[in-house]
Amino acid sequence: MIVSKGIKKLIDQQEGWTRRMFEEAIEMKRTFGVENVYDFSLGNPNVEPPAALKEKLVELLLDPTPGMHRYMPNNGFEEVRGQVAAYLSDKYRLPFTSQHVFMSVGCAGGLNTVLKGMLNRGDQVIVPTPFFWEFKNYIENFGGIMRLVETKDDFQLDVEKIERAITDKTRAILINSPNNPTGVVYNEKSIKSLAHLLKAMRKKGRDIYIVSDEAYKKIVYSDARLPDLFNLYDLVISVTSHSKDLGLPGERIGYIAISPQIPEYELLVSGLMIANRSLGYVNAPALFQRAVGAFQTSSVSIAEYEEKRDLLYETLIEAGFECVKPTGAFYMFPKSPIRNEVEFVRVLQQEERILCVPGRGFGRAGYFRIAYCVPLSVIKNARPGFLRMGKRYYKR
Amino acid sequence: MGVSKKISESMKSSSWIRAMFEEGERLKKAYGAENIFDFTLGNPVEEPPPEVKAELFRLVAEDTKGMHRYMLNSGYEDVRAKIAAYHEEHSGLLFTKDHIIMTVGAAGAINVVMKALLDPGDEVIVPCPFFIEFMFYIGNHGGIMKLADTRPDFRLDLEKIGQAITKKTKAIIINSPHNPTGVVYTEEELRGLALLLEERKKKGQRIFLISDEAYRKIIYDGIVYPDFFTMYEDTITVTSHSKDLGLPGERIGYIAVSPLIKRHKPLIDAMIFANRILGFINAPALMQRLVGGFQRNSVDIGSYQQKRDAIYDILIEAGFDVVKPSGAFYIFPKSPLEDDIEFIRILQKQHILAVPGIGFGRKGYFRLAYCVEMSTIEGAREHFLRVGEMYNKKP
Repeated sequence: MIVSKGIKKLIDQQEGWTRRMFEEAIEMKRTFGVENVYDFSLGNPNVEPPAALKEKLVELLLDPTPGMHRYMPNNGFEEVRGQVAAYLSDKYRLPFTSQHVFMSVGCAGGLNTVLKGMLNRGDQVIVPTPFFWEFKNYIENFGGIMRLVETKDDFQLDVEKIERAITDKTRAILINSPNNPTGVVYNEKSIKSLAHLLKAMRKKGRDIYIVSDEAYKKIVYSDARLPDLFNLYDLVISVTSHSKDLGLPGERIGYIAISPQIPEYELLVSGLMIANRSLGYVNAPALFQRAVGAFQTSSVSIAEYEEKRDLLYETLIEAGFECVKPTGAFYMFPKSPIRNEVEFVRVLQQEERILCVPGRGFGRAGYFRIAYCVPLSVIKNARPGFLRMGKRYYKR
Repeated sequence: MGVSKKISESMKSSSWIRAMFEEGERLKKAYGAENIFDFTLGNPVEEPPPEVKAELFRLVAEDTKGMHRYMLNSGYEDVRAKIAAYHEEHSGLLFTKDHIIMTVGAAGAINVVMKALLDPGDEVIVPCPFFIEFMFYIGNHGGIMKLADTRPDFRLDLEKIGQAITKKTKAIIINSPHNPTGVVYTEEELRGLALLLEERKKKGQRIFLISDEAYRKIIYDGIVYPDFFTMYEDTITVTSHSKDLGLPGERIGYIAVSPLIKRHKPLIDAMIFANRILGFINAPALMQRLVGGFQRNSVDIGSYQQKRDAIYDILIEAGFDVVKPSGAFYIFPKSPLEDDIEFIRILQKQHILAVPGIGFGRKGYFRLAYCVEMSTIEGAREHFLRVGEMYNKKP
């Protein structure tokens, strides 16, 4: 075989139906026109970077200082890390320094660096499900074993189940809040009881890290608030990117924040340096490191997302769908009216030209994901289609 | 412990690097950076060519809507098509955009190729001395590195390569112009390698030739770069624009897959998939747009060649045994002492910073990276001569 057995297996597992659907969708857009297909399948917000950031880029390129595009230390420019650390210190009232910040090739790059730095072959990582499927790949890249733990009906953490999933091999818990695919923000109660559990484990000499994927941390709605994880537990490593808040997904810029309360953080940073280098990231892209440093407090237009969420949620409820109201990110994860959600997603696509992703792509069959980082008009135009589906399946 | 055992071992085995680095920093503080001659870093001081800077500015100022968004994991189609045209011109083969994948530098590219090709236990041959990172890139994906020593003049030793091939051999990685020796493999030796691999293929074993061409455009004395694509079917090249366009910190490079590889689509698909699951997702967007139009450009090679000449002349004058490099910006002289780490310490006392050969799998040598200001080379002259007087026997 021309490729490794390992990667062939992964491709066959993961790409089959998504690819088919993707191809059908392209065909459909060609036939009916892009404006007549309501594409909720992509978690790719079409926001432009803020004007001030674009000006900053121009300013950086006019700066005649030599060496702007050279290598720098593997963890990034000291000055930029300092800017990020100042933001984190202010936000969490903890003594973050440039040493606690590690610039990364986006959130995905940051997570791979952290997992490579931490995992021994056979180490286990607990992931609450439904979950972002790439986590499985990231963990398995380094010989780690993913242990899925179901969340509660409202997609909040089930800490009892997490406790039962902990073994001698458990190295970390990988959480993602606001969550893809559910849009749920893990609430204070969830996080506090998780911290409580892990602190008890620490007392028994078991150090289990929380690796927190905070790619959507700036998209939290007015009816929720992100618990202060860094102050609730010591062994926390968060990973985030500027894809969503600064509209830079294609530029691959993010960072890892290492809690100042981790006793061995210096060793960890040295380990991450080697991991970042050996995985071939080497460093986060230089120009965009410099660009994002000063924009740490920038936020996303939450009101716009919230308006979209409200309209979509009301539509689904009116149609009769069963759905947890999301409080963050731009995803909604309703229950499919029929057990086989792949079939339902196909019906949505073929009859209503509404494109969604089946829940099994996130480890939860019987649900489907709607990504509503689309223009409001798309939601308005898709509304009659959702209502018709409600009429058919829920007799509304 | 916060870090994995493997990473912790890597940290320990490279502890001398840190010790050396720290001593270098101490010297710079004590005597002033301008009085320390630092030849340790392959970090070119050459700025991107002015036309590259101008284009970068134009792209940012023009501010096309959507220019920072995600694109296909393989990269922008128009950029890939421009790169394909460059390779078609050089090889005469029918490259299309579908043979090119944009990557996060050459380091990212090799990781992607390894992930796509290797199952645990598969072997990859690397001629030695070698760029030590190859060991990590191969090991990351469960592969086993098999070193094959080169000849005394650092040319490929086909016999040794032949001996290193087993049933488990999946690929060989070559790197020309070469880090750390600066050697550029000739057409003749590459044809010999191609022949060797062809023979294995006839016996039913397919071995991929992975050519790391990060320094491809930094080549001296009017040498024409022998293009491996024209010599062997199963060739994959990886490269970056760190060196030729002076953009190392921006992490932009690409993979090119030979159009002669039959049924290449599963291979390309696997690499695009690997690019995603290894967390690269795609090469940085702005830099992709930038490099497309500069496939034929390069930083000022003349200035590197002058530096090569200057450092080579100094080393010869000082009595060092050294192979004259014809590419990249490295030179790899023999250490007068067998213990190269000890010799590095002696150089440090003379305010010269270099890397011991052991860091490239070859004890008894040391590497100088001469991608520094000319003044650094000139300033180091008398110090090299002093060391030469002490340790090199004059005829």
